[in-house]
Amino acid sequence: MSNDAATETQALDGPQQEPPALGLGASLPPADARAKTEGTFPYAADLWAEGLLWAALLRSPHPHARILSIDTSAASEMPGVRAVVTHLDVLGDPSYGRLVADRPVFASEIVRHHGEAIAAVAADHPDTARMAAAAIAVEYEVLDPVTDPEKAFEAEPLHPDGNLIRHIPLRYGDPDLMGEVVVEGLYRIGRQDPAPIGAEAGLAVPRPDGGVEIYTGSTDPHTDRDLAAACFGLEPDQVRVVVTGVPGATGDREDPGFQIPLGLLALQTGCPVKLAATREESFLGHAHRHPTLLRYRHHADSEGRLVKVEAQILLDAGAYADASSESLAAAVAFACGPYIVPHAFIEGWAVRTNNPPSGHVRGEGAMQVCAAYEGQMDKLAAKLGIDPAELRLRNVLATGDILPTGQTVTCPAPVAELLRAVRDFPLPALPKDIPESSWLLPGGPEGAGEPGAVRRGVGYALGMVHMLGAEGADEVSTATVKVHDGVATVICAAVETGQGFSTLARQIVQETLGIEEVHVASVDTDQPPAGPATHGRHTWVSGGAVERAAKMVRTQLLQPLAHQFGMSTELLQITDGKITSYDGVLSTTVTEAMDGKELWATAQCRPHPTEPLDEAGQGDAFVGLAFCAIRAVVDVDIELGSIRVVEMAVAQDVGRVLNPAQLATRIEAGVTQGIGTALTENLRTTRGLVRRPDLTGYALPTSLDAADIRIVKLVEERDVVAPFGAKPASAVPVVTSPAAVAAAVRAATGRPVNRLPIRPQSAVVTAGA
Amino acid sequence: MCQSCLVRPVSTYGTANTDGQPGHREGAAGLTTHAPQTAQSVTLPASLDEAVAALSAMPAAVPVAGGTDLMAAVNKGLLRPAGLVGLGRISELRGWHYQDGHALLGAGLTHARMGRPDFAALIPALAASSRAAGPPQIRNAGTLGGNIATAAPTGDSLPVLAALEADLVVAGPGGSRREIPVSHLLAGREMLAPAELIGFVRVPLLHAPQVYLKATGRTGPGRATASVAVVLDPARRGVRCAVGAIAPMPLRPMEAERWIASLIDWDADRGLAPEALTAFGEYVAAACIPDPAPAADGSEPPALPPAVLHLRRTVATLARRALGRALP
Repeated sequence: MSNDAATETQALDGPQQEPPALGLGASLPPADARAKTEGTFPYAADLWAEGLLWAALLRSPHPHARILSIDTSAASEMPGVRAVVTHLDVLGDPSYGRLVADRPVFASEIVRHHGEAIAAVAADHPDTARMAAAAIAVEYEVLDPVTDPEKAFEAEPLHPDGNLIRHIPLRYGDPDLMGEVVVEGLYRIGRQDPAPIGAEAGLAVPRPDGGVEIYTGSTDPHTDRDLAAACFGLEPDQVRVVVTGVPGATGDREDPGFQIPLGLLALQTGCPVKLAATREESFLGHAHRHPTLLRYRHHADSEGRLVKVEAQILLDAGAYADASSESLAAAVAFACGPYIVPHAFIEGWAVRTNNPPSGHVRGEGAMQVCAAYEGQMDKLAAKLGIDPAELRLRNVLATGDILPTGQTVTCPAPVAELLRAVRDFPLPALPKDIPESSWLLPGGPEGAGEPGAVRRGVGYALGMVHMLGAEGADEVSTATVKVHDGVATVICAAVETGQGFSTLARQIVQETLGIEEVHVASVDTDQPPAGPATHGRHTWVSGGAVERAAKMVRTQLLQPLAHQFGMSTELLQITDGKITSYDGVLSTTVTEAMDGKELWATAQCRPHPTEPLDEAGQGDAFVGLAFCAIRAVVDVDIELGSIRVVEMAVAQDVGRVLNPAQLATRIEAGVTQGIGTALTENLRTTRGLVRRPDLTGYALPTSLDAADIRIVKLVEERDVVAPFGAKPASAVPVVTSPAAVAAAVRAATGRPVNRLPIRPQSAVVTAGA
Repeated sequence: MCQSCLVRPVSTYGTANTDGQPGHREGAAGLTTHAPQTAQSVTLPASLDEAVAALSAMPAAVPVAGGTDLMAAVNKGLLRPAGLVGLGRISELRGWHYQDGHALLGAGLTHARMGRPDFAALIPALAASSRAAGPPQIRNAGTLGGNIATAAPTGDSLPVLAALEADLVVAGPGGSRREIPVSHLLAGREMLAPAELIGFVRVPLLHAPQVYLKATGRTGPGRATASVAVVLDPARRGVRCAVGAIAPMPLRPMEAERWIASLIDWDADRGLAPEALTAFGEYVAAACIPDPAPAADGSEPPALPPAVLHLRRTVATLARRALGRALP
């Protein structure tokens, strides 16, 4: 902690100048920061409506079973119960899904995972609703669950669509080529839960016109509305999704599995209905990171340059497709990492099992392969006796190189610069060199750690993610900017999930219009769509749309003045609410120029199109890429196998820093989530049954587990196709940090460390070893 | 009571109530069913005997001290107590006093209080286990008596009390008091009768080093995967050790205790060679996690699974380190 001051200045890297107070580059705090800190910020679980009813879901206790009968009569007759709905009450489409409609709203014949919804109850008290849900008599014929994804290929189909959700056989180069050195590895990645700090909650209010309004913390309101309307048998414009405060999102939130039953109950009872999921339901209901099995063979020459990579990647999708095909595309495309690989043969599969459902979680696909290819790079370095950082430097990708998908990297790819930055950053002091500060041992302040048994390890990892939706997804966003009475308002359906979009939108308008007071309207589906809050797309497309709209307002504002003075609008400048011309002749205020008018403009941003991967895994599938290098320093108690991450040094390719404080928090949050992936976070199952779905059994990192995170370098090489040249920053540290921690534990213990999260027995060094 | 933990009606959007009145409302039909499931009575007695009387008067009522386990079960819907007897205002339970070489600890002592230095000077291992018992919020509320009554396998104070051979002073109706060894309660040999309450815990003051060590899955607070308490009793020339979290109750490896006590030179500096410490650790671990018995036909017994072997190694390491820290 003593050398903070020295590293802070290094971190900024470059000419020191006072950061602006407003606009792009300012560390503008979020507008809702105070309310969130004080606990007055309203989340969906805080909503209330006059005369509301409470909903509860009945969930399957079995991972795989045939439903023989459902008897709701006992539940319906309970006093206080107002409605009980099952699959028979779904008047529209019986199934839904973001890419493939394969998930039933309520299981009708077969349940395919532990916790699948079977019925829902609305009652006048939450306890009554829960008791009524428990009183629904369901007769099951328990079936053998398929829980090993390797057996899913041969197993009886779990779903009419079959067990194989997607297969990508990527072929690139010469399959017969052999390297002088070959290393092989088998890697397993566990099931991370997004574990949002607030569990799912929502309120559905019926409308007099037969429609329904759903108030919830959705991250993709328009898709959710369309899916819900189809299941209700209503037109999309009869359903309105209103986004409330989102209590944390690192994946899809408030998935339709909660919203559709809620809406159905509201439509059926004619009363507002509220659902607040328990933590257990939250663990059972929402999507997790894909547990993944990876087999790798790396070929290299004697200098350590990669010749060929062969890999098999198997994603456990759980019972339903959800976003699995997107995750698989990312896993296959980035299977070799940010390295030049002349020949690559990657087979990827996403298969159905009776395990808990998998779906979109930050950095999906890319995170799992990063842990594996970086394990391979460490193995190669050990086999060749080359320093791990040096071996990586010999292979790193740069702009102009080609990915195994055949796509040329056209965006900035300063991978070597990132790796050098973390490698050359001074290592944290050893405890013996700083006797004045107390040493937090692995196991914690009251743990059993013993200094003599602790080994320190240093490991490196390089990670990459794609930005925006891939493979031809239409990534459009629309935004409106309104200026009236010296105040600007942004109307955009991009959901603020905590990623900082609304702060960014305010900064963009401040920058373009010179207006200090900017409000961001709350989101509902009456606004034009802005797409899901995933893959950093709002920084890019929604930010781009806000900028265009703001520029259009600027032109509207300045055009009459420019005309009057016979100059173009480009020669006028707006700062601090004042309009001045380049020569100082004209000087007026924005308020005066507005003359009581209200100015509106709406604009869209749509990045260049992409194409799906073909049957050989080839295609320009990604709009842009972001890179990150992390050096992890860990302490391992080699007798107990307890691990503490001491320091994470991060260098990241960010394109351009738009809000330094916000960027730092995004990186710190991502690295901390990655530490959880590496060490503790794994939702365990026994034959498809989730064990201990609570926050005692599922250990998230606490402040003592979070490392000292050093942002060593932020490479600002602007991406010309991105608005402002900025790259989204949240996902790539999540992808890279677990691999870096694993590499450091490998260095400390000499053990292979091929499984995440790292189990204590994998970090123990026994006398014989 | 359960209302407040389920919903906080904050005035929010168009649909919110605007009159700012918190609390539960009746349903639109004017019918509400919540009342029968809510605790009907909450009693806050000021003395131990009053508390016992309150429990006798209402046998369905549940005593609550810190509530760190009980209220979690209520919030989860696992428990719907008909009534609560709050023990928080019984000041006699919140401190301790001395009685012929023992400390009589009030069952209402919080982990936070027991973690403080003055208490650590008296019973170091109990203080160490209290400091390790979860995050500050839990330690501020959770109590010694509650830890015993919950009797979770991972309860941090339990192996320490087992190693100290503590006795419980149980209060019953009519001012009656009886003593039962803590190990008897934890093993289910003796149970609390209806309306009985744990009043005090009688712990011997040994005036010798004691150590409590625990292994967890993370650096931050967590439940023990294994824990070991080692206390020295120089007056009786004994070493007592208990292993927690690996079985439903703390385990005492008595043979290992007697063997290591016989090696210690109690009249000199009590030091032991590192090999003896290692052997003690392995003795303790093998006693608590034994090898599978050989099959009747004389064939090789099945090997322990790797996770169990790791647990045994963890217990051995903890026991070795704990004894090493207790000896000079």
